[in-house]
Amino acid sequence: MLLQLKDIHKEFDGKVAVDKLSLAVERGVIYGIIGPNGAGKTTTIRMVMNITIPDSGEVLFDGHPADAGFRDRVGYLPEERGLYKKLTLEEVIIYMAELKGVSPKIIKPKIGDWLERVDLTEYRKKKVEELSKGMQQKLQFVTTIIHEPELLILDEIFSGLDPLNMEKIKEIILELKRAGTTILFSTHVMEQAEKLCDNICMIHQGKKVIDGRLSEVKAKFGKNAIQIEIEGDGAFIASLPGVKGFNEFNNYIEIRIDNTTDTNSILKEVANRVVVRRFDIVEPSLYDIFIDTAKIDPNQLETIGESQNV
Amino acid sequence: MSKFWVIFRKEYSQVVKKKSFIISIVLTPIFMGGIMVIPAFLAQKKSTTAEKIAIVDQSEMGIGQKFIDEISEYKLEDTEDNLEDTEDNYYNVEEMFTLTAADSARFSTVTDSLRTEIIEDGLKYFLVIRPEAHVYDSNLYLITNSDNFTTIKRFEYRLSQILSGIRLEQSNVNLSVDSVLEITRRIDLRTKDALGESIPFEIKYFGALILVMMMFSMVIGFGSLCMRTVIEEKNSRIMEVLISSVSPFQLMLGKIFGLGAATLTQVSVWILMGSLLYTQRGMFDLDPSIDRLIFNPVIVIFFVLFLITGYLLYSTAFAFIGAIVNNEKEAQGFIFPITMMLMLPVILGISVVQDPNSTMATILSMTPFIGPSMMMMRIVFVAPTVTEYSLFSGIVGEATLALMVVILSIIFMIWLTAKIFRIGILMYGKRPTLPEIMKWIRY
Repeated sequence: MLLQLKDIHKEFDGKVAVDKLSLAVERGVIYGIIGPNGAGKTTTIRMVMNITIPDSGEVLFDGHPADAGFRDRVGYLPEERGLYKKLTLEEVIIYMAELKGVSPKIIKPKIGDWLERVDLTEYRKKKVEELSKGMQQKLQFVTTIIHEPELLILDEIFSGLDPLNMEKIKEIILELKRAGTTILFSTHVMEQAEKLCDNICMIHQGKKVIDGRLSEVKAKFGKNAIQIEIEGDGAFIASLPGVKGFNEFNNYIEIRIDNTTDTNSILKEVANRVVVRRFDIVEPSLYDIFIDTAKIDPNQLETIGESQNV
Repeated sequence: MSKFWVIFRKEYSQVVKKKSFIISIVLTPIFMGGIMVIPAFLAQKKSTTAEKIAIVDQSEMGIGQKFIDEISEYKLEDTEDNLEDTEDNYYNVEEMFTLTAADSARFSTVTDSLRTEIIEDGLKYFLVIRPEAHVYDSNLYLITNSDNFTTIKRFEYRLSQILSGIRLEQSNVNLSVDSVLEITRRIDLRTKDALGESIPFEIKYFGALILVMMMFSMVIGFGSLCMRTVIEEKNSRIMEVLISSVSPFQLMLGKIFGLGAATLTQVSVWILMGSLLYTQRGMFDLDPSIDRLIFNPVIVIFFVLFLITGYLLYSTAFAFIGAIVNNEKEAQGFIFPITMMLMLPVILGISVVQDPNSTMATILSMTPFIGPSMMMMRIVFVAPTVTEYSLFSGIVGEATLALMVVILSIIFMIWLTAKIFRIGILMYGKRPTLPEIMKWIRY
């Protein structure tokens, strides 16, 4: 186990931000922390980084409490981003790497490659202030990974990036994973989490409500989602017997049914009323799980998914 | 510890590489030199045109005429006493009215018109000699809009001589005016200290002022830079990344010492420039006693020590401020009282230096933030007069004690700031209240 959080708890002015949260991140996985805004994701990550000190509980890195050496083995991209505006890209990268204990000699030859990966080659000797916001974000990502950390912690990594750059960063993250890097990231955008994560943890109002392998979490929710594409108004579907969840998208409707209801009966009912173009029985998307779970008071919710032996 | 050096190097090179740093290294001495030289230069500049004088004489003793005779022929002996060399200034007596003592109607017409001329700048000086001027000082006065100290002194000297002559004639003493003046000459009490010719007060005062100002500009300049870099890193949100790489304590010390090194660089360059200039001191008309100030080891050593410790103390305080404020505007309110403490000896001014060993001055020089500049001021005044220095008594002993106070304050401030720093640098938005800060300290 590379990273373990044991009952970490944090309150701000009497308000609970993170409520006795436990997590275990195995080496070499991509671990996604999801949750609505204000759920406690950033506070959790800050406690992992020893920036915020937990009121109780502990964080173990490689089985030991995080010490000074821990800082060098971790790459951290905070949600609030910023770099030295007056330094050149090269200077920033070297300085950040030096702060991680890596000498300029080792870093310099790598700068060219990495800047090329994120399309910033021509800016190498330019000042950071000349970059657009998206470019600065890519640069900061490079400064986070260039010292080859064992553990990469990315807080809302994709926010503010266009799809092209998102794809680029995603590629790099997957590449790093293949090379053995453990990645912990937070997001409130479910599609990304779904595409990237091996493991998922959902935090809601400071409490862990889902935790486990993505496939297991999905299996637990069951194959009880149906995507229906129809002609005409499908609003009536929500009131059919046995329908639990109803999400209307632009091109299709996604519903969830309870375990006792037969999918065939739904199809019949729908087909009687409108023309059905497509009727798919699917795994619920993380999005549905997120929406459904976030609606429920976390205190009445048992943790879904297999909590790993914490 | 290596990360301390990474921060140290970055902060140092960030300052030293800046153009503004190099410019200020060169310009500051020029500017300071300008402040010192230009007024002296202006004062020395002599008027080349004749200054117009008018005289109204009601004395019936020919004082006016005698005065004209005197000022039109200068003697070198004038340079004695408080008169500068006189060749360059000359006066052109425009009008001379000799009236009788009783002729008050004419007196007022004439004086009124001459007054108008003074106002309209047609006339520079207007000397009024009323009846009995040799008896009553108030019956002799000069009307002028000029503040030319030298001229006024010169007139005073001349008139004293004339009036002395008149009084002498009336007193039946058979002596020449010159010999009476010689007999009654006032003495100029010269002060010497145990080591010989004493250093004139102005030189000591000026020297102390320069040292305090240098200390002030560097301590406040680089100290507030320390604060500004903290604020900048807070605002650019880079702080979180920094703190995930180094400990807040390393960051704080790296900053303080890195900028401190920049301060020392600047001082070294200035000392070097100053030494070069000093070797060429023949070019300037300097008081030889300056050597006793500049080559006084106590002054030199303690200046460097107080500069370094003063910087450390203040920059830590500035780091403290940087950690708790969100922007420089918020910081302004804190900066003013801090800078005032360092300027206190200058504000108190003469009262300190007239009695550098007074209880107040001694206590103030042992007070944490005031100490460095106050002690420096006292050292300049006292150290050159002492022959034997002891670490445990006298001025050196007191300076050592003051230094200890500063060092203890630094240790305390670093301890305090370290506690505030790690929390403050990650707080955005609301400025913490005093109770909150107290909570952080206990944290």
